[in-house]
Amino acid sequence: MDRFPAALLLFLVLLLSAVIGLVRAVIDQPDRYDYCVLGAGPAGMQAGHFLAKANRNYVILERNSGPGSFFNIYPRHRKLISINKIYTGRRNREFNLRHDWNSLLSDRPDLLFQRISRDLYPPADAYPRYLSLFAEELGLEVRYGVDVGRVRAVQTPSGRRYLLTDRKGTEYSCRVLLVSTGLWDPQKVEFPGWDLTESYESVSVDPEDFVDQAVLILGKGNSAFETAQSILGRASRVHLYSPSPVRLAWQTHYVGDLRAVNNELLDTYQLKSLDGLVEGGLEDIAIVRRHDDQGPHPSTPPPRRRGRRAGGAGPRETEGEERGEGRKGGGGRLYLTLADLLDNQDVRNGSRVAAANLPAYHYDNFSLRQPYDRVITCLGFTFNFSIFDGSARPPNSEVARGRLPAVSPWYEGRGTPGLFVLGTAAHSRDYRSSAGGFIHGFRYTVRAVHRVLEQRYHGNRWPSTPLSVTQLHSWILRRVNEASGPYQMFGVLGDVVLLQGSQCEYLEEFPVQALPRLPSLAGHRVPQGGLLVLVMQYGLNRSDSLGPGRSESEWTQAWRSNFLHPVLYYYDRLPTERDMRRRPAGWPLPRPKAVHHMIEDFLTEWDGPVSHGQPLRRFLEHCLQTDLRAFYAETCFLLSLTHRRPPPFCQRGYLERQGVAGEARAWRPPRDEAPPSGHDSDSSEASPSLPSYLSPAGTSVSLGSKLEL
Amino acid sequence: VLFDEVRYAQSVADLQALERAAWGRSDVVLAYVQMLGVVSPEHRSLMETVFVYGAKHQFVLTTGGPLLEHMDPGRTAGVWFLHCRLLPGPAGSGAPDPRCPRTPMRRPLSTLDLHGFLRLMEAPLTEVREDPSSVHPHHTLLQTPQLFLFSRPSTEHPDRAVATTLAWRLRGLALLMLGSGVKYLTLTNLEEVVGLFNAQERAGGHEEEEEEEEEERDADMLDDEVAESVFRSRGVSLDMDAVTLLNSDNFLPAVAEHSLTVALFYLKWDAVSMAVLSKFIEVADRLVADVQMGVVDCGEWTDLCAAQAFPSVLLLRPQETAQRYRGMLGSEALHRFILIATVCVCVYPCGHGELDHLGCGSVLLHVLHVGSITLDVCRRSQPELTVANLPSYLALGRPLLLLFVGSEEEEEDDDEWARRETQAVLREVRAAAGGGGEGGAEGYLPCWIHLGRTPAGVSVLRTYLGSLPPLPALVLSQLPSGELYHYPSHGPIVARSVLHWLEGIRDGTEPPTGTMGDDGWRPAAPLYDFLSVMDHEAPGYARPSSPRVKTGEGEEGGGREGGGGEREAQPSRPPWHSEL
Repeated sequence: MDRFPAALLLFLVLLLSAVIGLVRAVIDQPDRYDYCVLGAGPAGMQAGHFLAKANRNYVILERNSGPGSFFNIYPRHRKLISINKIYTGRRNREFNLRHDWNSLLSDRPDLLFQRISRDLYPPADAYPRYLSLFAEELGLEVRYGVDVGRVRAVQTPSGRRYLLTDRKGTEYSCRVLLVSTGLWDPQKVEFPGWDLTESYESVSVDPEDFVDQAVLILGKGNSAFETAQSILGRASRVHLYSPSPVRLAWQTHYVGDLRAVNNELLDTYQLKSLDGLVEGGLEDIAIVRRHDDQGPHPSTPPPRRRGRRAGGAGPRETEGEERGEGRKGGGGRLYLTLADLLDNQDVRNGSRVAAANLPAYHYDNFSLRQPYDRVITCLGFTFNFSIFDGSARPPNSEVARGRLPAVSPWYEGRGTPGLFVLGTAAHSRDYRSSAGGFIHGFRYTVRAVHRVLEQRYHGNRWPSTPLSVTQLHSWILRRVNEASGPYQMFGVLGDVVLLQGSQCEYLEEFPVQALPRLPSLAGHRVPQGGLLVLVMQYGLNRSDSLGPGRSESEWTQAWRSNFLHPVLYYYDRLPTERDMRRRPAGWPLPRPKAVHHMIEDFLTEWDGPVSHGQPLRRFLEHCLQTDLRAFYAETCFLLSLTHRRPPPFCQRGYLERQGVAGEARAWRPPRDEAPPSGHDSDSSEASPSLPSYLSPAGTSVSLGSKLEL
Repeated sequence: VLFDEVRYAQSVADLQALERAAWGRSDVVLAYVQMLGVVSPEHRSLMETVFVYGAKHQFVLTTGGPLLEHMDPGRTAGVWFLHCRLLPGPAGSGAPDPRCPRTPMRRPLSTLDLHGFLRLMEAPLTEVREDPSSVHPHHTLLQTPQLFLFSRPSTEHPDRAVATTLAWRLRGLALLMLGSGVKYLTLTNLEEVVGLFNAQERAGGHEEEEEEEEEERDADMLDDEVAESVFRSRGVSLDMDAVTLLNSDNFLPAVAEHSLTVALFYLKWDAVSMAVLSKFIEVADRLVADVQMGVVDCGEWTDLCAAQAFPSVLLLRPQETAQRYRGMLGSEALHRFILIATVCVCVYPCGHGELDHLGCGSVLLHVLHVGSITLDVCRRSQPELTVANLPSYLALGRPLLLLFVGSEEEEEDDDEWARRETQAVLREVRAAAGGGGEGGAEGYLPCWIHLGRTPAGVSVLRTYLGSLPPLPALVLSQLPSGELYHYPSHGPIVARSVLHWLEGIRDGTEPPTGTMGDDGWRPAAPLYDFLSVMDHEAPGYARPSSPRVKTGEGEEGGGREGGGGEREAQPSRPPWHSEL
């Protein structure tokens, strides 16, 4: 019997250890989610809303203690330049979002940014408050204080998953990773003397610190101008230097270019009030310190600064302390010179700067020959690639000098299936052309990505509205007159209409660059009738933005429209990837079978029957190869009795006993009603009685040739 | 008899010959009527006038063609007065231009207006001795502006000369009265007076001139009759006083306060919506019942407008599900429907399956309608087709043995004799069709159209036959083959010969008169092809690009400026397309 208890004991011990192992395994098991959203900024919160609404298993992970922490620091001078236009004269909520650049999308009509601020350019502090309100009212699942330092992809029996490890060692396992970390790392440039500069992230925002100082700012974007604007009244001289000329948002229609709200320096430059702009490369320059009393052979070595700073993730509030001290230390002033002139290794290493090391020695009228008290870099931010393990790291974008992750047209990282990039970091798709890098743009791309996810992982097709072809004209007019998504994400998100006989399916806001993948991404087959794509576009922009001839008013000249206007592309089959690559220069889509531009409109109201409605209807008629005109009941009566089938409008309305009664007494038969065959010769007899509106239309358009579709 | 008094002119040469003959003898009245025959109200008005004035003027009739284009390309008038009588002597055959001065009649052709017009032509200038307020012109001229000129005995002759000139200029526009006794009025400029009337005419809502302007731009002419009619009345703002403007804020309380609210959901850029809106307001203006008529602008109040199709009409009662109106979108039908909806509703019994899909409301609507379509479908074997009820009969899918009648221009059969005549013919047709109903051998549905009540029927008949035959006319249409047969118009319509005719059709010995249109409803207008315009005006702009070399989208090196993380160097793009 002794052996039995021993055996029992052994068994119990084994059992116990097994249980402990199991418990330990359970404890060590990472938190598992279908969706992890990295970052609780506007893009992350926007994604959270759609995931919550669809009842998905998700979590938003945020390293800081509150949402939108970027806005706690930036913009440094605390004024958002995103338009918060709360008075539009309209009550159409969709339309109003065209002029509200800060709100996120939700089903709550009152969850708009205007609840937080009524300023046209709101204070930056308002944004985190708005995000808190958004998360709270929608009950979003956000975990703060989770600083994810490593992201890697693993293959599991159930498929690829992303493992996120935070600084405390906690792991999160995610089937889908939505990266909405924004752009945090200040852009760096390798040039000698970088350490003598200060940076936008840490430079003083108190104008009194700049009294009577000459300031050189490297960069000509909004942060550079924002910085310049704040010190214009104190600094003696503010020069902005960067490779490319300033691009004005009101000329380029790109909101990332210089906004008028920041551009006072253009005035003081053009009115020759000591400020100015200069173009030149950044990689070729050097910043050197030279004492004013230095002779041609300076004797005092300039202060030597330590190396710049470490890379890596995280806010960099403290970093500026390393730089810019050169300004204070050691006396002397800063000169911009060319690296080539510093052939002397000693100079590079901080030995004396000779006159010959400065451009003015060689070119006596060199623009930037005077010394500066401070040099400030305002060169923008880059995506933080460092937290991504090789298995989960999207490549650098081709555009934006690689500052952004490269993503597919549906915002999935290249080579990282299941990892999507949202928000500002996803701007490589429409860099310097549309609004995908900004809240008022990416709130729509986030929705598009969510629709892709719903189709791919849950089998929910892209939402669509079935329409009869007779409704299509009015439906398109409604969209061009109120839709905010295609209006903000012009050239990027477009409505797709799948044409099948007398029916069509209307899909909203599909990323048009992904068109070749529409069937798999959206779950909709492209029918025989082909498809229409409706996008908004700016135009050729060949004319002076404020000069004469800057806009067109003749609908036949619509393709020359300069301002935002609707454009419809008709394809009889789905464009291929190759077609997309071969699209005409500057076009968002390949050359279609037929294209229709709706003439730009000063009021952005595309509702004119002559200039907008009829040309659109005729275009749709050719795509659908059917007559889309509306007819009064009396005409439908005539056409129903004299034709095997009346026109579609009569079939849909009149024959369904819902005709539109005209003035019975005033009714006259339409002119183009040819009598039945056998009476062709009599057709002229009827013509005098016909109303003038039915004369053959379009005949005066000399170039309008009939297209074989 | 009267036909002899009236000459017919089709070409310009016809008219010139008539004018030549009338020189110095009589004035000529040229009238355009859309069609001849007693069903044409214009023709009838003209003949009535000929009866009175036939001895005095030469009446000439035209039904259009080149002559009409010659007289009036803009089609602003239907009657012209050719002043030939006062011209000196007969025109020589060699006269280069035999035309007499002419005055168009601005009003539509009606008996009253034509009388007034001719009276005005006769006496453009009247001399009166009374105070202007006591002058009462002939009743036919009540609609005509009157212009009083005042003269003094000392200047009577020159004043009369001026007045005559002015009367000539204003002929057809105004009635001139020359009186005496006023001392302070001076006429300095004839043009001002003429201009006054011309301006008045322009401002008076005459659309002719606008239409003329629009005709200059063919491509911009609206070829959609609904859009065109809405556009044409764009100057007339809709009087929304009779309707409640519903919006997101007042919708629920407004509906709760009324036992019945009828709401129209419309989009202002949708022409059909706007056409229906004006009808809806007409109904609201007429309605005396305690019904709230409301409209919702769906361009603005999107949260109220879940409905996908515009326009739509909903019936809303407190605490009840909204009911969609599925009837004809016209003031007549809607008005009846609302009246019915306000009283106790009971569904009319009707056993036919084809009516099951009709909403209760529309069945009732039709019960009340003239002659009752429901009764027609349910019980009548030989219905009268109207614009409102045709869809119900077409849904039966049977060929129509269609009799066109219309022995009077009025809508109702006032004339007992005509009615009996019609009834007799209808009986014959019904008999020939085998007693009607589905019992007919070929399933023909014998039916009829009254051209007075359903003017669109005239166009149907004209389209069938190419011209208007003598009435009544019998046609077999809606055959599966699409062929049309016209019963010979010379023979009387009696059952025996109709039957014979139908047998001929069945046997294939009767040749079809025509076929139904089968054009598939292709696009109404040619495409304005932007692609070919681009290719022509900006070669290369729309051309597919050659596969791109990986150049980083043309970024030039060296730039990394930026603010807020969104800037870069200038890409190389086509010089004239720096935007997208």
